[in-house]
Amino acid sequence: MKRRELLRAGVLASAAAALPRTPALAQNTAPSPELTPAQSGVDASKDLAAPGWKPLFLDAHQNETLIVLSDLILPATDTPGAKEALVNRYIDLVLAAETPETQRAFLNSLGYLDGESMRRYQAAFRYLKREDQDDLLHALAYPRANSGWTGEAGGPDVGHGHFEQLKQRIITAYYSSQTGERELGWDGAFAHGSYEGCNHPEGSHK
Amino acid sequence: MSGNYAQQDPLQQPYDAIVVGSGATGGWAAKQLAEAGLRVALLEAGRAISPKEFTEHMPSYKLRYRDHSPEIVRTRPVQKQCYACMEYNYEWFVNDLENPYSTPAGKPFTWQRLRVLGGRSLVWGRQSYRLSDADFKAASRDGYGDDWPISYADLAPYYDIVERYVGISGAAEGNEMLPDGRFLPPMKMSCGEVLLRERVKAKFGYTVTIGRAAVLTQNYNGRLACHYCGPCERGCMTFSYFSSPFTTVKDAVASGKCTLITNAVVSHVDMDNALNKAQGVTYVDRLTRQVKEVRGKAVILCAQALESTRILLNSSTREYPKGLANSSGALGHYLMDHVVGGGASGRLPDFKTLPDANEPQRPNGIYIPRFRNTPSGNKHSRFIRGYGYQGGAGAEFNMSAEGYGASFKKAVKEGIYGIGLGGFGESLARWDNYVEIDTNLKDAWGIPALHIVMAHGDNEVALMEDAAATAAEMLESAGAKDIRVQANVEMPGMAIHELGTARMGADPKKAVLNPFNQTHDVKNLFVMDGASFVSSACQNPTLTMMAITVRACDQLIDRFHKNDI
Repeated sequence: MKRRELLRAGVLASAAAALPRTPALAQNTAPSPELTPAQSGVDASKDLAAPGWKPLFLDAHQNETLIVLSDLILPATDTPGAKEALVNRYIDLVLAAETPETQRAFLNSLGYLDGESMRRYQAAFRYLKREDQDDLLHALAYPRANSGWTGEAGGPDVGHGHFEQLKQRIITAYYSSQTGERELGWDGAFAHGSYEGCNHPEGSHK
Repeated sequence: MSGNYAQQDPLQQPYDAIVVGSGATGGWAAKQLAEAGLRVALLEAGRAISPKEFTEHMPSYKLRYRDHSPEIVRTRPVQKQCYACMEYNYEWFVNDLENPYSTPAGKPFTWQRLRVLGGRSLVWGRQSYRLSDADFKAASRDGYGDDWPISYADLAPYYDIVERYVGISGAAEGNEMLPDGRFLPPMKMSCGEVLLRERVKAKFGYTVTIGRAAVLTQNYNGRLACHYCGPCERGCMTFSYFSSPFTTVKDAVASGKCTLITNAVVSHVDMDNALNKAQGVTYVDRLTRQVKEVRGKAVILCAQALESTRILLNSSTREYPKGLANSSGALGHYLMDHVVGGGASGRLPDFKTLPDANEPQRPNGIYIPRFRNTPSGNKHSRFIRGYGYQGGAGAEFNMSAEGYGASFKKAVKEGIYGIGLGGFGESLARWDNYVEIDTNLKDAWGIPALHIVMAHGDNEVALMEDAAATAAEMLESAGAKDIRVQANVEMPGMAIHELGTARMGADPKKAVLNPFNQTHDVKNLFVMDGASFVSSACQNPTLTMMAITVRACDQLIDRFHKNDI
């Protein structure tokens, strides 16, 4: 390979990587060469909260469905829930960078939820009454026992599989957010003294 | 730029020694030789590094993808197979598109590489264990393969030197398979680990010890004690874990006798064919692609096992048509990498400790030294050699809690007390596991790439089956529930402990290197890294690599003083 070709390939690749997808991201997209954005000190934590945010990958209905679903899975309690943590925006960002197979798999799972909702309640999931949403989720959330309500005993539990796919995305998005770190009780400091380990007398664990 | 160092260097060529590679072994070679007064050129294929690029204290929510970036895989599909290649630091790892290698269909091999000052010492697992004569002389005991030409007594003083400088925290156990070293105070065990230690000793008679780690538990040798933030693989502002740029390489350069040349991608060793001596190396400047030469009285390859061997294979001459210093034909052969994938995990329901996001993060686990086929034990009926375990126990947030809603949020915080053990098994040295040059494949600098052929064999499979079953029994003895057994054999390369391919041995017909890492064929050419291993043992190898390097340098310095080079 010629040097010029290599250089040009390199320039194009970094230009593509740096291309802002939305104007709000522009300020954070000038990484130093051969350093990751993190190593360059880029702080992307405010990007998703930018005014005028629009989804990169999801359509409006999918986005709204995801907001409703995520806030049912991780609701506001005495701490904020998934909606406030902008879980939908993070998932949209990751999906936009994912492979077509992974994107399709996610949309399949989201589509399954709406499909079940239509089949049972003749309405898309996000328009259901809260108790119907809960009934539907409850049916999907736990692995089916052999004599399950669907009458498909023995076969793979498709509904639960889709639920788990969606749930994994949502909990990853939530607990990796600043809100999620607070929910787990992290005080924001990196050093908390020495690791103390077990201080019990020998033989005290039975 | 660094590419001009060679021309501007006041030390002048020829150097006394050229060291290729600045990682764990290259750093030691440069330090030892330069501090002994030799004029050294230290060549590193990657760029220099600054503590400013460390990210160990950056929370993941500041990253665009919060350390779940789907983009890394586009340029680093191989490197991403290692946990340490992350959104924080992926630029330290090679771009796989620029650094290809090939494998046969159905025999994948993952090759983890860093090209930056310090190499893999920046991201290594830091576990540091001595080998024993049960390892060095294993062939004499079970009849498989070859003994090392050195014994524990030969290496013990050099283990001492390395440990005293590096700082290894650990506990002396008097275990016959795992000689004790010069330890800094050990890190503490968790309650669950203490229980496992007591039960495994009582029921099986085996030792569970705290990991011996190249992480400081007290201020030592100009570096600060660990502050327990956790993710060492992103760098350390207090230099508490051992990495070469801020220790050995720093010392070498400070001596005034070592010239560091970064971005020097070495393609081959240059020979003076008439004298049968290496006269230096040729490298391609990584940034400018200019081809340059460095001249020296001795050439020392510390580029990591497969890269050092690749350089020799790419250095063929008329006299050495199958690779430089390869009259034995052994160059490239006997590739090893510890077998992993057998183990078990579960939970200890009796421990009610809640997970704590503010608990100091111990960058270390527990270790169970090899207990199969020991000198004082019985021979196992199904396999030779053995495995050790790494593992740990502690309270974790329960991200796999069932259900959803407020009850799920609560269950996450209530956590579980998890426990797990994973085996690292010996990889037998076999001729059929080898590397050669792929004549159809070059890297981005035009240097022919490797074809890597390796598969674990029946013995490795049997080791992992036993590791899985025995781990489950050990966890059960500690009262673990919901035990999940994993009896896989991961693809070679996954342990990131590549060893062999230029092994040492007393017989020049069977080995590439003599017992002091000097090639049998070319007296001023050396390979001082994992390529020299005769067998893999099952312990993490970096400490032994460093000790071997220091020993080989000691002898080389002697020869310089006697004008015998």
